[in-house]
Amino acid sequence: MIRTPLRPLARILHARAVGENPDRIEQENITLRHQEMQVQARQRSEGRLLVMGALFVFAFATIGARMGITALSEPAEPVASVPGSAIAMQRADIVDRKGRLLATNFETHSLYAQPPQMVDPVGAAEKLVEIFPDLDRDELIEDFTGKRKFLWIKKKISPEQQQAVHDIGDPGLLFGPREMRLYPNGSLAAHVLGGAGFGKEGVNAAEVIGVAGVEKQFDSYLRDPANGGKPLQLSLDLTVQAAAERVLYGGMKLMNAKGATSILMDVHTGEVISVVSLPDFDPNDRPRPPTSGFDPSVSPLFNRAVQGVYELGSAFKIFTAAQAVDLGLANSETMIDASGPMRIGRFPIGEFNHKNFGELSLADVIVNSSNRGTGRLALQIGALRQQDFLRALGMFEPTPIEIAEAAGGRPLTPRKWGDLSTVTISYGHGLSASPMHLAAGYAAIANGGRYVKPTILRQDGPQEGQRVMSEEAARQSRAMLRKVVTSGTASFAEVPGYQVGGKTGTADKPKPQGGYYEDKVIATFAAMFPAHDPKYVLVVTLDEPEVIAHGKPRRTAGWTATPVAAEMIGRVAPLLGLRPQVEPIEMAGITLTSN
Amino acid sequence: MSYLEYHAKSMPSGFRKILYLNWGLLLLLVTVACVGFLMLYSVAGGSFTPWVEPQVKRFALGLVLLFVVAMVPIWFWRNVSVLAYLGSLALLVAVELFGSVGMGAQRWIDLGFMRLQPSEVTKISLVMLLAAYYDWLPPEKTSRPLWVMLPVALILLPVALVLKQPDLGTSILLMAAGGGVMFLAGVHWAYFVAVIASGVGLVSAVFQSRGTDWQLLKDYQFRRIDTFLDPSQDPLGAGYHITQSKIALGSGGWSGRGFMQGTQSRLNFLPEKHTDFIFTTLAEEFGFIGGVTLLFIYMLIILFCIASAIATKDRFSSLVIMGIGLNFFLFFAVNMSMVMGLAPVVGVPLPMVSYGGSAMLVLLGAFGIVQSAHIHRPRHSTR
Repeated sequence: MIRTPLRPLARILHARAVGENPDRIEQENITLRHQEMQVQARQRSEGRLLVMGALFVFAFATIGARMGITALSEPAEPVASVPGSAIAMQRADIVDRKGRLLATNFETHSLYAQPPQMVDPVGAAEKLVEIFPDLDRDELIEDFTGKRKFLWIKKKISPEQQQAVHDIGDPGLLFGPREMRLYPNGSLAAHVLGGAGFGKEGVNAAEVIGVAGVEKQFDSYLRDPANGGKPLQLSLDLTVQAAAERVLYGGMKLMNAKGATSILMDVHTGEVISVVSLPDFDPNDRPRPPTSGFDPSVSPLFNRAVQGVYELGSAFKIFTAAQAVDLGLANSETMIDASGPMRIGRFPIGEFNHKNFGELSLADVIVNSSNRGTGRLALQIGALRQQDFLRALGMFEPTPIEIAEAAGGRPLTPRKWGDLSTVTISYGHGLSASPMHLAAGYAAIANGGRYVKPTILRQDGPQEGQRVMSEEAARQSRAMLRKVVTSGTASFAEVPGYQVGGKTGTADKPKPQGGYYEDKVIATFAAMFPAHDPKYVLVVTLDEPEVIAHGKPRRTAGWTATPVAAEMIGRVAPLLGLRPQVEPIEMAGITLTSN
Repeated sequence: MSYLEYHAKSMPSGFRKILYLNWGLLLLLVTVACVGFLMLYSVAGGSFTPWVEPQVKRFALGLVLLFVVAMVPIWFWRNVSVLAYLGSLALLVAVELFGSVGMGAQRWIDLGFMRLQPSEVTKISLVMLLAAYYDWLPPEKTSRPLWVMLPVALILLPVALVLKQPDLGTSILLMAAGGGVMFLAGVHWAYFVAVIASGVGLVSAVFQSRGTDWQLLKDYQFRRIDTFLDPSQDPLGAGYHITQSKIALGSGGWSGRGFMQGTQSRLNFLPEKHTDFIFTTLAEEFGFIGGVTLLFIYMLIILFCIASAIATKDRFSSLVIMGIGLNFFLFFAVNMSMVMGLAPVVGVPLPMVSYGGSAMLVLLGAFGIVQSAHIHRPRHSTR
């Protein structure tokens, strides 16, 4: 910037020559310079103001134009009421392992009234009662003519009902869209899916929230729009589930049981392929939970597979045998003292039907289901090691399966774990666990000694579970279980073409007031197939079965749960893609010669 | 030119000051407030309760405040602006502390007769402080980096406090108003270009990274942003307000359904119908014509502010007037854009129309300062 000097020499000299004060010239110039600066600043700020003003005008124009466009547009109803598009995205579907639909959404309507807008409240109330006979006429008239400004009449109505209400023609009767959860397979897998209900309700929408099962467990996932409506894929197989439910229902009726449950689990991945609990319910129309004073465990809502904890009886014996082999205390040929009488403190340890086996090999202890033999083995193992083993098998915590109710299935363990508990728990009494616990334990034996977490979600590959026993212990245990079927208490479990190994368990039911019932049992059969290289574990449990065979009432698992399990294996094994195999010919006693 | 250069004699004094008020501006404000009363009356279904009555009372209180503020010479307001700024910072901190004690995440302080939102007060005190700052600063220093950093820090301090409440909308408005005053004060445009360019660069970098392996945000975060920017993707959730208010605007059409005939707003389809979304009621009942008329009145208010800013010869007055005008502009521009789906939904009321005490009272007080600057401006005639 070129500055004009404040005291230009020529002018100063001239002023001096004329005799004026030269300082005046300087002041004059300073004032001029200030004015110039002010003008500049002014121009600049006015320029800025102009830019800002232009911005304002632009904003006004944009808003005005937008206003015009919106005002002249046809008022379109929100996308939400267009069926099947956006609303389906609200809550994700649930599908089975092959992508078949288990739960989806369905558009329906709710009916509400705004009495101030009503033309003929009394007439409308009367016509409404004709359409919905369960409504109370007097109550409706009172509501419609009273001070209320808004009331719900029906939360869900069918299209026919909606048309009928529409035909009444009263402007005060209004419909709101309602998204509801639909379970197209009805009661199939009811306990896994659980159900959904309405949360916060508004006129235009209601929040659908999961109230039980995976719907509750994965509620926030299913509702999160960030998942983009990607369905939740379960490990269940719809066809296997259907077959299992059929067989179990028939078995429950045949065996006169009041309840039943079955679990089919992949022993490598921990995926639960089918889980049934009977009696069941329809999640589309979930029954109300039982009122107080009523045993919740007989409600159809009760999930016996994960919530019910039972003493599972002799099915537990194989864990004692497996641990003994694992610890090197015995192998399947080791002779075990199973003779009576046997007492722990003042409690006698007896055998079923008051038998006395004397000495048995470990395999025969399992095959004959000897309480005394197992008990003595457990005493050798000791309480602490027994607890460690059972803990590693997950018997002390609720099963980690992702069904909301599973958290409630905490096993009951004795407060004081003395010798008596060690012995009784070795054959499945004194410790209550859910059938899901048992299935997970058997899976560890079946897959070669690794604990797998049971899961209801589709897995991509086998779980690398924690090792709980050696391969060898698992192999010998499997051989013992196979022998139980070929020559022991579970002979009804033979399924032609599918080698089954398994163990029965019959436990007397405890009375609520203490002690045990003599004639009420929980009968369990825990199986694995195919026995030479098990892929699946199946647990079938019947509640209070009783069947007359050979003229006597039979309750033990060998007569009740086992044939049901065999029937189920025969039905589902082909669905699982297992081919029937011809049993290898027994080689014992035959010598192959080469001539 | 500084205040000391004014001739005190040139100012009107005593009650004569009333004659020198900017009556046109005042009339416009009253008109807008009356539109508000009318709409609140309609939204309440033709009743003075629960909204019109308290709103009228508050408006009367606000007018008194406006007059009192206007009577006080403008240099007083310049001299107290630092105090006002510090005071509002203290209020912001206080609201933060009270919130943590037991009032939850609340943004206001209960004064008994009304709830005061410190962030509203901050909008005005920040503008006052910046105007005073540039009045004090010799003009040639305006664009020196050090003297630019200082006001930036002064803006960012309350912005950080408001952001912590958390109130993203208000903090953006604070930044916009503060930046606007700096722009008007003549800070070199290169600074603004740099800030805007880096902002745009950052945002576009984030979006460019989408789908590449150096993605800066998680997928679900992107989807949340999508829903925020385009609520129509989620018509029952985030987009519910917008969808419904668009229907209201659409059903209003050219000339509207008539006073008290709006269905969308009266039948409870619209949430917040008496506060942030009151414009939809107006648009539905008076249509495009009604909406544009209101917009026109707002525009006139801004025009009056610009005229007043040009008429005053000192930096503080013109900056503070424009700052307040800018605040007012941001209020209604953001609110209207939000209602019409041009901007994401942030909680900004329609100034002078929406139901609510804090904002209206603060705005009327601010216009009191505008009036004060107008009254106490230098006049050549009396010089």
